[in-house]
Amino acid sequence: MPHLDAAYALARYLINDPSEVEDVLQDAVLRGVQYFNTLEHDNNARAWFLTIVRRECYTVWSRRDEKMDSVSLDTMPELEDVAISPEQAAERSLLRERIVHAVGHLPGHLREVIVLRELQQLSYEEIAVITESPIGTVMSRISRARTRLADSLRDLVDVDVGEMS
Amino acid sequence: MSTQRDIGSIVRENLPRYQAPQSLRDFVRANAPSDDDRSVTPIARRRPTKAARQFLYAAGILIAFLGGWVINNSIRSRQQASAARETMVAELVDNHVRSLIGDHLTDVRSTDQHTVKPWFAGKIDFAPRVVDLAAQGFPLLGGRVDYLRGHTAATLVYGRRRHFLNLFIWPSGESDMKAQSEKFKGYSLLHWISDGQSYWLVSDAAGTELEAFRQAYDVNR
Repeated sequence: MPHLDAAYALARYLINDPSEVEDVLQDAVLRGVQYFNTLEHDNNARAWFLTIVRRECYTVWSRRDEKMDSVSLDTMPELEDVAISPEQAAERSLLRERIVHAVGHLPGHLREVIVLRELQQLSYEEIAVITESPIGTVMSRISRARTRLADSLRDLVDVDVGEMS
Repeated sequence: MSTQRDIGSIVRENLPRYQAPQSLRDFVRANAPSDDDRSVTPIARRRPTKAARQFLYAAGILIAFLGGWVINNSIRSRQQASAARETMVAELVDNHVRSLIGDHLTDVRSTDQHTVKPWFAGKIDFAPRVVDLAAQGFPLLGGRVDYLRGHTAATLVYGRRRHFLNLFIWPSGESDMKAQSEKFKGYSLLHWISDGQSYWLVSDAAGTELEAFRQAYDVNR
């Protein structure tokens, strides 16, 4: 299943807890197996599988009886880079810490579109299918999420929020 | 960092890229459908499409006009067989749903196969195979006797996490048949014939769970 990593990443960003994420993915795979046999979903297997995963994540949140307003994400291990000075390295890790924290504290509906758009680089159409929202809503959410993230880094770097394409 | 940077590239460069762990990959490999995995393919999928059915029917009438009633009759009997099967499926699901309402799930409530099996003696004229599959994740909860479309059925009730599985058993004169799965109103069904007994398994659990149950039940004979 080629979309497993994308689905796993989405679930990690939505509910964080690795063991719970694995449960969600297992459920989604089983559910996927069921639907594979009953529906024609050949054209867009990724969007369809991510839709199932996302729904399962929301079910987990509704069970937890909380809003998906923040998760604490792991920071990536810093890569060794000999070409940069210690000051640059410190600046970079501060930036990393801030952006990871900022994404983790976006509300769920903004976090999911940022993950799908910026990390998975999906099209607006695909994101609209997965999040079961109109495309206009998707675009305005992405724009709001970008603005929020940029604001949280404003004192560190000059950030371009980016144009909607 | 004085140059203006795109927020998208900052996100891409700095957010963790989670990858599915090996345990999950193994799970998918074990459970994803493959082309030769016919056992989980619902019957409905193998039936001709609506257009094809209409075409077949039209062709049947045409051939009948030209000379033979034989083909038309065979189509009709096939439709009757398919309608009979659908009625059976609906009735099994109804029975399953009814069994979960109120306190009708079991007439003999026991997790001990040596209590459940003798309980059937004298109530029905065949001996259903009763095995506890708690070790395989399907604890035996009890049994009851049902009457379904002319069959007196021994019904075994098993649990699967928060789901219930009803296994309906009655004697069948037909030869062994591999398991075929069905879906009806969101319920999964699995039907097979083995050693002169007809088995229908009904549950709201996933179809793959039903298949897992069947294998456990078959192995523990």
